[in-house]
Amino acid sequence: MVSDLILMISRGIILGALLSAAPALAQSIAEKVEVCAGCHGQDGKPIDTALPIIWGQQAGYIYIQLRDFKRGDRKNEIMQPIVSSFEKDDMLAIAEYFAQKPWPNLGQPRSPKDVAQRALGAEHSVGCTGCHLEQFQGAGTTPRLAGQSQEYLAKTIADFRTRARGNNPGMSDLMRATSPDDLAALAEYLAGL
Amino acid sequence: MNRHSIACATLFGLGYTLAASSHAQEVPNPDQWTPPREAKISPVTQDQLNAADKDTTNFLLTNVNYAQTRFHPAKKINRDNVKNLHVAWIFQTEVKESLETSPIVVDGVMYVTTSFSHVYAIDAKTGEQLWHYNHKMGPVTTYCCGPNNRGVQVLGDKVYLATLDSKLVALNAKTGDVVWKTDIADPELGYSETMAPTVVKDKVLIGTNGGEYGIRGFVRAYDAKTGKLVWNFDTIPEKTVGVWATKDATGRDMHRDIQAEKDQLAKIGDPYQKLGGGVWQNPAVDLATNRIYFVVGNPSPDLDGSPRPGDNLYTDSLVSLDLDTGKMNCYFQYIAHDVWDLDAASPPVLVDVKDNSGKTIPGVIHAGKTGHIYVHDRKDCSLIRFSEAMVPQENMWTLPTKEGARMLPGANGGVEWSPIATDPGQDLAYAINLHQPMHYRVENSPYPNGKLWLGGAFTAIPGEKQSGNITAVNYNTGKIRWQVKTPEPMIGGILATAGGLVFAGEGNGKFAAYNSSTGKELWSFRAGAGVNAPPSSYMVGGKQYIVVGAGGNTQVNFRRGNNIIALTLD
Ligand code: HEC
Ligand code: HEC
Repeated sequence: MVSDLILMISRGIILGALLSAAPALAQSIAEKVEVCAGCHGQDGKPIDTALPIIWGQQAGYIYIQLRDFKRGDRKNEIMQPIVSSFEKDDMLAIAEYFAQKPWPNLGQPRSPKDVAQRALGAEHSVGCTGCHLEQFQGAGTTPRLAGQSQEYLAKTIADFRTRARGNNPGMSDLMRATSPDDLAALAEYLAGL
Repeated sequence: MNRHSIACATLFGLGYTLAASSHAQEVPNPDQWTPPREAKISPVTQDQLNAADKDTTNFLLTNVNYAQTRFHPAKKINRDNVKNLHVAWIFQTEVKESLETSPIVVDGVMYVTTSFSHVYAIDAKTGEQLWHYNHKMGPVTTYCCGPNNRGVQVLGDKVYLATLDSKLVALNAKTGDVVWKTDIADPELGYSETMAPTVVKDKVLIGTNGGEYGIRGFVRAYDAKTGKLVWNFDTIPEKTVGVWATKDATGRDMHRDIQAEKDQLAKIGDPYQKLGGGVWQNPAVDLATNRIYFVVGNPSPDLDGSPRPGDNLYTDSLVSLDLDTGKMNCYFQYIAHDVWDLDAASPPVLVDVKDNSGKTIPGVIHAGKTGHIYVHDRKDCSLIRFSEAMVPQENMWTLPTKEGARMLPGANGGVEWSPIATDPGQDLAYAINLHQPMHYRVENSPYPNGKLWLGGAFTAIPGEKQSGNITAVNYNTGKIRWQVKTPEPMIGGILATAGGLVFAGEGNGKFAAYNSSTGKELWSFRAGAGVNAPPSSYMVGGKQYIVVGAGGNTQVNFRRGNNIIALTLD
């Protein structure tokens, strides 16, 4: 669940954006990314565990997500209005901006052995590392998963499974081929990397 | 070399700290400041390339020669002395990720590539780096099976490379500087490049990846001098329905619901625009007839046939084109309306074969993910015979279900993209195989605008043992001559030499030489990372060398490394 706090911030930002609609066009990238910190964190650590880390994420992936939010291929009541005024070049520049930042350490614990074993069993069956790479670091349009917020991972995996997150049917199919218990183990394991 | 070794030790020491950076696959190189040195080669002529099959010194084409036999004529290293093979040098690249490169060697200069489309020119005698081309990758790259690259080719004074972000690049062979660069296709729509180009008669031939993304596949010829497009062949024609084939190339029923497909066709029309049909590997070139032969990969989406009624031409097919015009001569489809991703990826090989009346004719052979080696008449692509299955086949062709249906081989094969080798003197083809029991699951979703479109999932069955093998098949009888079982599935490639040997590597780091007539293991070496790349052979200063990449494999998740290992005899 997205906390009320985030929704409140979101409304504030959208209101703010509406009030300053005219100068929005002339904004620099630095100005455009200011709002992001309100949720994704000043120092890269999101303000709430339900939110994804975007600092140090793969540029191609960030760009594609912003594009998909704008197109409505990925639905989210908070992110969609935020990106609605962005053009392709903005999105590429914003993606590059965040990709250059260091990935923050959320200090999530390493998963216990039984959880890790279960996760690696599921990984072996589906071959997650075939796309997310050996250290789950991602590349290009495939996201880094290592050290991502566990709560967010669990949520977005569940969203893939129900196709509530419909912007990558391939990932949805893979999640649907994996049992919920295995996926819970994967979220815990990946968060602790 | 020492400094490289230190870099490696540091890497292991840092462990997760490095992995935590967004470019974890890049290994810092203390030699980065070293000024590039000139690769002193004389321009490679077309005549030289045409005669590559007799060239014991160089390794000029991805699969040795235009016929793609992977039979190298050098024989200084042979059955008697291979036991003394030892490391000549190890070159460490800056990229620790899957190595699938076929090293190319010209006049004592070696050209190798790594994942993320880097190119290195190396002194083939000493292992010293001459130059390094670090491709500036666009942000958007899409790939199904790792950020791989399978190598380059040299013609004249240029090195040709196709990149993960779908660009074709010509580099100065001496310096590594970019001479020209051309966009092949839009990576945002799922196009990417991992194959080595084949350059012939001033044309650069290239296919595309993207069969997991709903692309429309192609093979293209670009002008080698300028990078301008000469011709384009769509691997997916505008009429893809075909003949409603109910049986595969081996005569087994594929359980198609033809009526349901026809109804769907009436509703949605020909699905050609998003039908996939990538081309993974180099075409073979028949210099006598000026024809090229390549195989086309799976239809999109991989496992769900419902959005694509019909035979899905020319997916899962052998295709032959005229080299000058790109016009089709013939095709042969192995699996119509494939819903298992048991497609065609391993590059075809041109050899003389016996037809069914025992007459020797020009043939073309291909090793399928099904685990069969298919033997064709080069004239019309027709199938002459297929070999015994090299891997267990069970429940073929069970349709994928929601819950997952078990079928063998698993979706990686059989023979994956790994090139086969042949020894025409022995009528033998050598193939490396995977055995991975899998569940095939189907899911339905509409075309996702260039995103992963699998139409389901194939998952390895927990608890069922996987393995691999090296198999020698007599292509004139279809019978298996010998088979060596390996503990893990095999992917990467194989090389045969006139020394009576075949060389192949495994995911556990073993690299070995076998007697090419019997399969007896004669020598082996442990590389420490998966040896999942095709080996090459060459000579410098009168010595023969074998070289292979040990970088592991992304697709099957074999231990990664960053080593190019050259071996020789004293
Ligand atoms: C009001 C809070 C809020 C603000 C402000 C905000 N985001 Fe988000 N962002 C979210 C939430 C919530 C999600 C998760 C959406 C979901 O679960 O599907 C998200 C997801 C994302 C994602 C996808 C990450 C992933 O791993 O898939 C990206 C990229 C992103 N945001 C970028 C931005 C950028 C760039 C900005 C500033 C221009 C921004 N966000 C501002 C709340 C916010
Ligand atoms: C065939 C390639 C492929 C495989 C295999 C694969 N993924 Fe993914 N995954 C992707 C791509 C591409 C995306 C980006 C999705 C998008 O475009 O929105 C993704 C996205 C994700 C995300 C969303 C991350 C975020 O920040 O929102 C998670 C979580 C994830 N994958 C987990 C997994 C797990 C766990 C497995 C194995 C069980 C797996 N993936 C296997 C390609 C793959």
